[in-house]
Amino acid sequence: MKIPLNWLNEIIPLPADNGVLTDKLTMVGHMLDKRLVIDGEEVVDLELRGNRADCYSILGIAREVSAIFDTKVKLLQTLELTKVSKLLNSNLSVDTPLVKRAAMTEAFDVKITKSPAWLVKKLTAYGMESVNNIVDLTNYVMIETGEPMHAFDSDKVKGELQIRLAKEGEKMITFQGATLTLTKNDLVWSRGTEVLSVAGAIGEKYHSISETTKNILVEAANYDRANIRRSVYRHNLLTEAGIRHEKELDPNMVDNALGRFLFLLKKHGWGTPNCKIYDYYPKKLNPWKLKLNFDYLKTLAGVEIDTKTIKNILLNLNFKIIIQNRNFIEVLVPTYRTDVTLEEDLIEEVLRIYGYDNITPHVLSLEIPDDITPDYIKQENALRECATAVGFNEAITLSFVKESVSKLNIDPEKPLNTTAYLINPPSPDYKFLRMNLLCNLYELSKKTIHERAEEVRLFEIGKTYFKEKDKYFERRKIALVYYLSKDNSFNNFKSLMDSFFIKMCLSHVSYSNETYLLPLHNSFSVKLGNRIVGFAGVFDDIYYLEIDLDQILGQTKKYSVSLWPKYPPQIEDLTMVFPDRTYIGDVITSITSINRIIEKVELRDIFQNSYTFRIWYQDPNKTLTDTEVEKIRKEIITSVKNKFGGILKE
Amino acid sequence: MQEEIMSAKNQAIAQISGAHDNEELEQIRIDLFGRNGKITNILRGVKNVPQDQRQQIGILINETKKTLENMLLDQKNSFKENVREWFDPTIPVPLVKIGNLHPTSVVISEMVEIFKHMGFSITEGPEIETDHYNFELLNLPKDHPARSLQDVLYIEEPETLLRSHTSSVETRSIENLKPPFRVVVAGKCYRFENVNASNNAMFYQFQGFALQKGLSLSDLKGTLFHFAKSYFGKDRKIRFRCKYYPEVEPGVGLDLNCQFCNGKGCAVCKGRGWIEMLGAGMIHPNILKNFGYKPKEITGFAFGMGLDRIVMDRFKIKDIRSLYNGDIKYS
Repeated sequence: MKIPLNWLNEIIPLPADNGVLTDKLTMVGHMLDKRLVIDGEEVVDLELRGNRADCYSILGIAREVSAIFDTKVKLLQTLELTKVSKLLNSNLSVDTPLVKRAAMTEAFDVKITKSPAWLVKKLTAYGMESVNNIVDLTNYVMIETGEPMHAFDSDKVKGELQIRLAKEGEKMITFQGATLTLTKNDLVWSRGTEVLSVAGAIGEKYHSISETTKNILVEAANYDRANIRRSVYRHNLLTEAGIRHEKELDPNMVDNALGRFLFLLKKHGWGTPNCKIYDYYPKKLNPWKLKLNFDYLKTLAGVEIDTKTIKNILLNLNFKIIIQNRNFIEVLVPTYRTDVTLEEDLIEEVLRIYGYDNITPHVLSLEIPDDITPDYIKQENALRECATAVGFNEAITLSFVKESVSKLNIDPEKPLNTTAYLINPPSPDYKFLRMNLLCNLYELSKKTIHERAEEVRLFEIGKTYFKEKDKYFERRKIALVYYLSKDNSFNNFKSLMDSFFIKMCLSHVSYSNETYLLPLHNSFSVKLGNRIVGFAGVFDDIYYLEIDLDQILGQTKKYSVSLWPKYPPQIEDLTMVFPDRTYIGDVITSITSINRIIEKVELRDIFQNSYTFRIWYQDPNKTLTDTEVEKIRKEIITSVKNKFGGILKE
Repeated sequence: MQEEIMSAKNQAIAQISGAHDNEELEQIRIDLFGRNGKITNILRGVKNVPQDQRQQIGILINETKKTLENMLLDQKNSFKENVREWFDPTIPVPLVKIGNLHPTSVVISEMVEIFKHMGFSITEGPEIETDHYNFELLNLPKDHPARSLQDVLYIEEPETLLRSHTSSVETRSIENLKPPFRVVVAGKCYRFENVNASNNAMFYQFQGFALQKGLSLSDLKGTLFHFAKSYFGKDRKIRFRCKYYPEVEPGVGLDLNCQFCNGKGCAVCKGRGWIEMLGAGMIHPNILKNFGYKPKEITGFAFGMGLDRIVMDRFKIKDIRSLYNGDIKYS
């Protein structure tokens, strides 16, 4: 909120240096947003937080200044008003508990004029436009005291007035000329079927002050703030009144604010106040008691503040001390401090005036709690290392899928799952949540290729989002994409993929052909035993691998090393002929498992259907004899023939 | 004979160490070990040595031979080091591909490292959240004015939404973990934003919270000061001020002096001289009560900050959208 400093200075002495003032205000909770000079007036714009309804006023800020600098706020002059059960022109009935207080007063023989220069200057410095003297005066008092008020043309609102909930579809034209269609949840002032204002937010056009107005009815009220807030947001009525009424205002300031209005009206000779007030206030809000335990303050703050200081701070903030002993102090909270309802709130009051600066920083010295980092977090960090080790750069993409690639947004595993989507997307590209990592990585790859990159190696670790029946769930994934402008081949991709699995100690995966709903060519599944943990394939020349992280969580082997064998291996090449469509990877896995002394099997050469394998025979404990190797060789040949139909080429 | 050997050895040592090039060295070698070389000839004469001395002479000759051969080799190697063939180490070669982390991951792991030293674990939670965990349990009931600071993206109104802050992980953690604990979370959050160079509907937050008997505002201040000094530099000034957040009481705002103008006020800090870095405070008693704790028996603190701004500063990226749309060119 913008605080014109001269205005503030009228009711509270200010330090000579504005910087000192704004630094202190910032420290106690009202951060300086900007310094401005408006029409020659020095203005400080403070960032006020939503819980301090009382600070949306010159008076509120003056009280803060008073507490900080130990000075006194000048009393605002008001007219004393007498309570009556009926005003001269109008009467009010309230039929909803959403109104906590509603008060009205009248003034006659009102002269509607342009506002004098001093008033225009003040409103301009605050940031409001001048309308006429009466409307401006209601705004002036609102800025000064924090209580919004509204002036009606008294001759147009004669008789029985009512505050009630609107009828669904009821219409109102605002004084700015906009038509509102109200709902049954909007609170309104009305006269029979005429709606006079949306309570706490905006007035109707016809009943407002105009040039011909002679007499006025001024109302100030206090409502259920949540209801006002909903109306304000429903109809986009973030008016000066609206932003105050959506917060917890003090109902006790209603009559004072009206008294202040009439005082100023009279002072400037703009009308004759009728010093009567109709005041609907069924349940008066009284100051409430709060205790402050000194021990608790010490626990929460970590510093010890002497009782005298605590007392002074609370007194300067207008808390009334009713009990004080060695252990605690009990206070009455002034009703404008609607934000102070708990002991902790009171402790914050003491600490912020005492100064957060004066709290000693203390490096954690309590017992160190156990490391409870779950394995999946460690897994993701380890995977980042593995993927970068094989030369992949990390990408992070949006959780949303752009319209342009939305065709790819398919759950690759369960066709019945549907995408989760936003009902209030900021744009069509931020509507659908991704069901795989391909959509966005594909788009990124295309972009990179377009930027003339010769190679794309990207990985992403992130969540995918699904809806299954009525339930939403997320799956953690890692995906790799690969592309090479020259000599792009499956072998290149597979070499990286296999190395990646070895690096992450998951070399025991197997692959098998599988068709997926995603438009992937040569797609295959990645399996651990019989369980599918991921899939891969190629789309638009871009190779893609996606692994479900929860499926492989805890399945990786422990990283281990071995020593170089002390005895020499026997190495030999065997060339075998296989029928068409034999999976050579499976042949190698099968040979390796025949005997533990088969250390390694390598594919050396392919010629038509002939495959040359190099086989390492190695016993860790001795040098193998030809006879021993001979025996195993025979086993290999028999096994390959039986399982795969492969025949040794002599 | 012994004398003859010693004299040949000494003479040879002098010659070897005085040699200037390989050619000279080769001549010395031939003179010593060639068919008619000195040492060769001495070896030939061993058979004339009396039987009782022969073994001793043999050992001596072998040692001499070994010494001279080693010397020859050393001298030869020293020539190699002094005189070298022309060689170009600047020649460009194809590189091994090195993978790099995303800037956001880099910043997260750097921050996590600092908090680990202070006994913090790491955790995460769901991104599709309920109003209950994202707001209600955090002392943010419906129609709370602070809710308007966070325009939420809904999947199903009013209950299912994308989490608008990582504080939802705080509520889930307080529900599930047994104190004492200290935890940090880094993750994606979502809000309704008109996407432009400085706002995105998806962003990262870094959040921490601790629940332990005896924790105080002073501990929070110490923790945050240690973090801020470690991460942003010992010379940065820190402002620790009162600020309202519904999730905490007392509440804290932490600012750093603007590194661009050094606190004087510039366009980056909007003339304030300070950059708002994070929000924090003691966990609100209502939150503790929501989970059955008695606020006077156990206390906790929480803090949170936006990560993207920090990542952008650190990597000199001007447009927030560049972080997650593939604009990044890795080294």
